[in-house]
Amino acid sequence: MAVELSDEHRMIQATVREFAARELLPIAADLDQRPRYPADVVAKAADLGLMGMMVPEEYGGQGLDPLAYVIAQEELARVSAGFQTIVTVNNSLVCDPILQFGTEEQRRRYLPGLASGRTLGCYCLTEPTAGSDAMSLRASAVLRDGEWVLSGTKVFVTNGVEADLCVVYARTEDTKGARGISAFLVEKSFPGVTVGKVEHKLGIRCSSTAEVVFDECRVPADNLLGQRGDGGKIALATLDGGRIGIAAQALGIARASLEDATAYVRQRHQFGAPVATFQAVRWALADMATRLEAARLLTYRAAALRAAGQPHAREAAMAKLAASETAMFAAHKAVQLFGGYGYIQEYAVERYFRDAKITEIYEGTSEIQRMVISRSLLSRR
Amino acid sequence: MDVVVCIKQVVDPELPVRDFAIDPSTRRQVREGRPLVISTYDEHALEVGLQLKDRHGGTVKALTIGPRAAVGDAVRLALAMGADEAVVVDDPRGPDLPGVEKAAVLAAAVRKLGRADLVLTGCESADWVERVVPPLVAEALGASCVTFVSTAEFSGNGLVVRRLADDGFHVVDVRLPAVLSIASDDANRPRLPKVKDIVAAKRKPVHVWAMADVPVTSGDRRVRAPEVQGVTIPERTAKCELLSGDPAEQVATLVQRLRALKLL
Repeated sequence: MAVELSDEHRMIQATVREFAARELLPIAADLDQRPRYPADVVAKAADLGLMGMMVPEEYGGQGLDPLAYVIAQEELARVSAGFQTIVTVNNSLVCDPILQFGTEEQRRRYLPGLASGRTLGCYCLTEPTAGSDAMSLRASAVLRDGEWVLSGTKVFVTNGVEADLCVVYARTEDTKGARGISAFLVEKSFPGVTVGKVEHKLGIRCSSTAEVVFDECRVPADNLLGQRGDGGKIALATLDGGRIGIAAQALGIARASLEDATAYVRQRHQFGAPVATFQAVRWALADMATRLEAARLLTYRAAALRAAGQPHAREAAMAKLAASETAMFAAHKAVQLFGGYGYIQEYAVERYFRDAKITEIYEGTSEIQRMVISRSLLSRR
Repeated sequence: MDVVVCIKQVVDPELPVRDFAIDPSTRRQVREGRPLVISTYDEHALEVGLQLKDRHGGTVKALTIGPRAAVGDAVRLALAMGADEAVVVDDPRGPDLPGVEKAAVLAAAVRKLGRADLVLTGCESADWVERVVPPLVAEALGASCVTFVSTAEFSGNGLVVRRLADDGFHVVDVRLPAVLSIASDDANRPRLPKVKDIVAAKRKPVHVWAMADVPVTSGDRRVRAPEVQGVTIPERTAKCELLSGDPAEQVATLVQRLRALKLL
């Protein structure tokens, strides 16, 4: 299956690359060292059309395909993986399920705001005791007087501090596992929603990661997303798309590592010659580039399958697994090639190294991706 | 107010030096296999045109000469940035036409377009840097001409423009129709096309005219094009010289050398 970038894709790539160079590059290191939410740049990204890329124009989005989305995410993450996290969560984990599973009224109510940057979304699935085993979540929702009453604590919520809209998963039935879960669109302004502990992280530090607490939060019945009991299905389908976005993030970090390392080894002299002349260094670059290219092809392929409406859970897991491990590999190599200079904040590779790690963890750890992939292999007759 | 912006597609000037090559048989820069972009100052010219349109309405048309198949990116970008339509004068020699010839074709094309109050160009192309096109187009069209303009604003029936000068800037009243060559300035930094405008660009009209359809008159070509005898890439040599003497003497020598090189 060949994946070709169209002229439109290439122009979107060039535009987002220039946007990242203009708006993010000058502040990327500072956003990491003095973590803060870059509201002004998010607004500019929204103005450019990056906050609801795959949302159809009729709902205020750009109506682009997943490949365009992937290309744009790689460009943002190339410069600031933290910033890209803010963007990808809004696109993949919030706009996407509303578009796929929302009613017409829900789409019209929430998508224009999310796509235009007037509002920001977050995805509330993980709980203190339900991480990889997300379907064991305990948050509950009970129908009372025609409203849902939602209680529970969600953790590691990206954009949790700034978000206006939460996609929340809660148990509506007594049954265990995925079947008893439903999804809700919960506005942060609903009484009973509070932001709890805000985490201090190793990487992607300009995106907030917070606890979001729902205390007898009353949610209108109309804000049930999809059918009652479909929450598990919605969560997993959403993550199929989300993983493609994280794969793209990992591509950006891996490319940043490769490009910075390539430039550095050309100009760094040791033993009377540029270190780029040493075979060990050259092989490291070759390995980084080869793995990056392989991961990119997997990611583009998953995006193309999604664009074609074909099953892509396994391919998305493969893309995320390969790309995230490539990001970690490439960032690790880059730090090593920089030597002592790779360990200090004067150069960006130490940030890439810290940013890369999360891609192996969130939206399904590498181990979970391997479970998804192997399950798909073994379920075949 | 109808604005025509002349754009040229050139090999990306940001490319590493090692990717720059000259074809000795044609005495032209090798373009094949290199990324092509809108010439730097032409993009600034487009921005000036779009800002005038944003503020006062009217139309912006992008005009380029070149092989139809090879100018797609430049045209698409111009349309995505906000030009209403584009005209391509289909000539395989397009990018390598001498400025004198190019100016004649552009003037004829502007005339064929009908109404144009203002023609904008970059102050120089990123490849040949001839700087002759804007004044020659103005001459052929009988229009006013101001070069190295950083900003332009309508005033009464004409324009007030700011023109870069060695000692600062000149403010010039310009009557229309006019041809302005645009220099870069913070005020005309090219906008990034919005994603939806990139998508919408393919729905905007692109007119392709054969050279035969663009009647160049003798008045359009009043000077003879120079013939390029040869083009060479300057050899870069690096030489390191250690200055002797105490620090004060070293500084004095250094200043003297820098002055001799006209760097101070």
